[in-house]
Amino acid sequence: MATRKKVLLKVIILGDSGVGKTSLMNQYVNKKFTNQYKATIGADFLTKEVMVDDRLVTMQIWDTAGQERFQSLGVAFYRGADCCVLVHDVTAPTSFKSLDSWRDEFLIQASPRDPDNFPFVLLGNKVDLENRAVPQKRAMQWAASKNNMPYFETSAKEGINVEQAFQTIAKNALAQETEVDIYNEFPDHITINPDSRNVRNDNCSC
Amino acid sequence: MLRMGSASTDKEKLIRNVKKEVKSIMEEAVTKKFVHEDSGCITSLCSSVEACVSHGLKRRALGLFKSSSTAALLHKVAKSCQPAATIVQLVAEVENCDPNKRSSSGSESASKLGVKPPLQKKNSVASMKYLWIRLALIEKQLAKIVDYIVMNSSKYYEKDALVSDPDYGSILSSLLVGPCALDFSKLRTSEYCWRDPPADELVQRHRISSGQFPTPASPPAHKRPGLHYKGSIGFSNSDDNMRSKDYVESLHQNSKSTLLYGKNNVLVFIKEGTQPLAGYLSLHQYGDALNLKWTPNQLMNGCSDANNTHDKKYVRKQTFRISVGISIYWEHALNVAVHETVYVHCHQGSESDWIVLVGQDGVQRPPIHFPRGGHLLAFLSCLENGLLPHGMLDPPLWSQRGKETVSEIWSKTAMLAISGKVFPKLKRKGSSRFHDQVVMEEQPPTPTIIEEEAPTTETDQTASDFVFRIVYPNFVRSAFPQDDVLEYPVWQSSPSTPKSAVPPITPRSTPLHSISTTSSTSSSRSLDQQPSIQEQGEPIQTVCLTMKKQIISRAFYGWLAHCRHLRTVRTHLLGLVHSEIVKSDVPEDASGGLTEEKWKQLQEAGNIDMKEIYRLVYFGGMAHPLRKKLWPIMLSGKIEGEDPDKLRREYEDRMSEWLAVEAIVRQRDREQMAMNLAKLSSEETISEPHPPTCILETHESNEVFEENEAPATPAKQNDVSNKGSSTKEKSKPPDITNENHNDAHHERDDSDVSSEASPVSSRGGVYSNELLETFGLNIHRIDKDVKRCDRNYWYFTESNLEKLRNVMCTYVWENIEMGYVQGMCDLAAPLLVILDDEALAYGCFRKLMERMSANFPSGGGAMDAHFANMRSLLQILDHDLFTLIRQNGDYTHFYFCYRWFLLDFKREFCYDDVFLVWETTWAARQLASSEYVLFLALALLTYYRDIILANSMDFTDIIKFFNEMAERHDGKLILQIARSLVLQLQTLIDNK
Repeated sequence: MATRKKVLLKVIILGDSGVGKTSLMNQYVNKKFTNQYKATIGADFLTKEVMVDDRLVTMQIWDTAGQERFQSLGVAFYRGADCCVLVHDVTAPTSFKSLDSWRDEFLIQASPRDPDNFPFVLLGNKVDLENRAVPQKRAMQWAASKNNMPYFETSAKEGINVEQAFQTIAKNALAQETEVDIYNEFPDHITINPDSRNVRNDNCSC
Repeated sequence: MLRMGSASTDKEKLIRNVKKEVKSIMEEAVTKKFVHEDSGCITSLCSSVEACVSHGLKRRALGLFKSSSTAALLHKVAKSCQPAATIVQLVAEVENCDPNKRSSSGSESASKLGVKPPLQKKNSVASMKYLWIRLALIEKQLAKIVDYIVMNSSKYYEKDALVSDPDYGSILSSLLVGPCALDFSKLRTSEYCWRDPPADELVQRHRISSGQFPTPASPPAHKRPGLHYKGSIGFSNSDDNMRSKDYVESLHQNSKSTLLYGKNNVLVFIKEGTQPLAGYLSLHQYGDALNLKWTPNQLMNGCSDANNTHDKKYVRKQTFRISVGISIYWEHALNVAVHETVYVHCHQGSESDWIVLVGQDGVQRPPIHFPRGGHLLAFLSCLENGLLPHGMLDPPLWSQRGKETVSEIWSKTAMLAISGKVFPKLKRKGSSRFHDQVVMEEQPPTPTIIEEEAPTTETDQTASDFVFRIVYPNFVRSAFPQDDVLEYPVWQSSPSTPKSAVPPITPRSTPLHSISTTSSTSSSRSLDQQPSIQEQGEPIQTVCLTMKKQIISRAFYGWLAHCRHLRTVRTHLLGLVHSEIVKSDVPEDASGGLTEEKWKQLQEAGNIDMKEIYRLVYFGGMAHPLRKKLWPIMLSGKIEGEDPDKLRREYEDRMSEWLAVEAIVRQRDREQMAMNLAKLSSEETISEPHPPTCILETHESNEVFEENEAPATPAKQNDVSNKGSSTKEKSKPPDITNENHNDAHHERDDSDVSSEASPVSSRGGVYSNELLETFGLNIHRIDKDVKRCDRNYWYFTESNLEKLRNVMCTYVWENIEMGYVQGMCDLAAPLLVILDDEALAYGCFRKLMERMSANFPSGGGAMDAHFANMRSLLQILDHDLFTLIRQNGDYTHFYFCYRWFLLDFKREFCYDDVFLVWETTWAARQLASSEYVLFLALALLTYYRDIILANSMDFTDIIKFFNEMAERHDGKLILQIARSLVLQLQTLIDNK
């Protein structure tokens, strides 16, 4: 039997309805953006193969329904996740406010082994739009307060930062996956410093 | 061809396209270490090259080809350019091999049509498009050819063509050097297999292999439920290239199965007296199941890939021709499920070792010959390892030390490497055998009977022949067929062991036993004890008698189980279908549905029978023009329908109510927005002088925008609270006092309300703040979803979307406790399309939601009931599929059906089919089944069951498959299957 098992990373995208979860997923996997997506009902996923540290892994990215009413469905899909991507719309403050509840809900439903160190990544989507309402600083502070989760400002429409964000997601998910693995091939937990290179127009020194 | 004016930007665009594609193909090559020939990258690169090469092509230069096709250009160039000539030849070969595909390099058809640039025809068959470019790329000649074309561009191109351009031309040819250095793989490596094939491909594959599309799974016949058992999906008569490829690829290690053993040039004697065939023997593990496969070399080679360049041409030819004459080999290929095998007979000869597998049914497989030299042993130890933990070989192989007790060995084998195994030393007939028995009996998990080795030719000193039995001690496999014992003629299964004198009793008893180990609850104790009787030398008659009893009792138990099963069906599923079976041909054929003519007849006859309408609609739908009139009737269940005037009044009343509220909500939104913006800008200005740490502290809480007015809590509770704060915020420092703040609000409120066009006073008196907030939230949600709902369907123009929004808002306003839940838009949309009237659509939607609202989360838990029913139904009606679903994961919840049920299959079918499906469902509620959707879901599963089974899909695979197949099902066919499933269950329940 193969000694090096193929790695499947399960990534869950969460966030309010209409923040662009489906678009982000499709932009990353298919390099496409269309404004034809309907509201996601149930769940869908796409897979993509990526190289992470010279290792070929397959990301299974799960896109879920955005209305919190559907959270009860979560448990079926969240189980076995390796990374959770929280998305908010930088033009919609409410979507930012609900991040806490998404995060909590995920931790409850997925019940990962080590909830404190479970990898989350925060994406602030739709930065291409003019009417921005969630300041970058605010998002960064929030991300920093939650175990220093990486924060990216993305635009699924323009493809801004999407690739970088998912690369980080893959890395962190792999770190999580291998930590769980008893053979522990990748002992180093990879933490990305959010302010060093991830955020585009970095005007904050914290 | 050339669009003048923007010529240079055109060229730039074209070349940028090529650059992009080259980059992505190189990236793929680097990250994946290979690029598959079918990769989309290649196609897009080819298309971009095609676009460049055809840019500004001189038509006349191409002479007799009469078109500007780049293929024609290639022919021209071929006369003086060697690489081009090679490609021309290859193209001809490929085209000749595949007469179905029209010759084309992509732009011929377009150029006939006239002006369309070649890039626009992306939808045609990808693999045959840009054939010459593709072949040239794969043969690594493309750069050379393009370079040649560039050098000689003046002959073939207009002056301002891209290729003639001194810069772009050379850029183009040099760009292509990189991709031409790549090796393209035809073989799907394990990585490729590992990727989930798209649903399309699966359906395509299945269509090819079954050859009977469009019914992948023909509607199920009326078979006895629960008792049927189908063999594995075989490879009998298809001779398709694609399939053989798939099959060979499936022999490699992949995600679905683990390759435990593989050996080439293993000989199999298909028939006695014929030449043996050499082939590849492999042992695969799929979850718990083991499969032994042997594939003739002819099949293996036919599809293998040769990476050597000089072989390529040959291989390509061969793959195109492979379909011819290869089919006969498929008949010889072996695919044996190990769990169906009871005996492994091993023989060691002077030239080779061979094994014969004997199945539960006593049928022998053709002998499989291994070359001498430990291969047989290696195979057996792999098999033994593969059987763990549930199964084992009996007697087990001995490890080389050979002295441990069997149980020690047994426990050890789990850890042991393949090496170091020997055949059990069971040389002499006499004492050693008994010794072994003793050993075996000490070991608890092994069954009481022991199948002795069958070897023992009188002359043989060291045993060269063995019989191993595959047993599953203490393990009941639910996946095995349990009810079909009677179909196995157990007493005939005595395997004839060549050259061996086996006592006649032993082989008879063992198959019985082996069945008892695989059977479930009904296996009786006495059965297990029975062999010990014979061992003590009971007369053969007694044994036969006991056996007879056993058989009868087994039959009885089988029957009993079946009866219980049916009882369960009746008690649990009785409610799902109506007991009365409505026929499609009584009083007259209803398969044509409710046509306009029929409707006229019914009307003229006076007293319209609703039941007849339902019957007609159930079996054939209704004519589209009738829908507008009849849908409200069908939904209300009354021929007079709802009073439209009353409905309209009601609708208008509701609407005016919520419109007033909406006005307030909008006003609040605007202010909120202004405030946010102000906050944003003020924050930015504030943050500049302060050190950032400062801000960190003040914003520690997650509340985004409220912090600064945190002291002003009373203001927040005020109904129209935040008004005015935006403007104040800009000028005032954040520590504004409560009093001031509130005062400011009140002042502004009054002025705002008076200017508002709202018909209702927006002061808190009329609507509670809570209501306003809730409704506001719902409006935002509705706005978000209405915008996204079916915007690609022709009906939903701006104004019609507005109608949809009104219907949604009105419904939500009336059901504010439930509120808007995603999916409601989807349910209302088809109604609006048909009725094209807000009030009517609202009335129908309300009716529809009476049934559907229970499906929505917190609506009544109907979804869980659906899942549970699906489970039971599947168990009864398609046991194989049920087994697979249970085996492949813990998804006892059928989450892949979630969207189906929530949206009444609205997203699964295209609009025309949705209409049909919906009206059939409504009719079915009255006629056949109140839970008709279950049968629709079941029909979808049934329709694709073979694909699901053949690919042994798990939870995620099925979700993905159906998501990709959305709106691509054949509605009529699915309905047909659903009706037959209803009938099947009705007959089953009826048939007491």
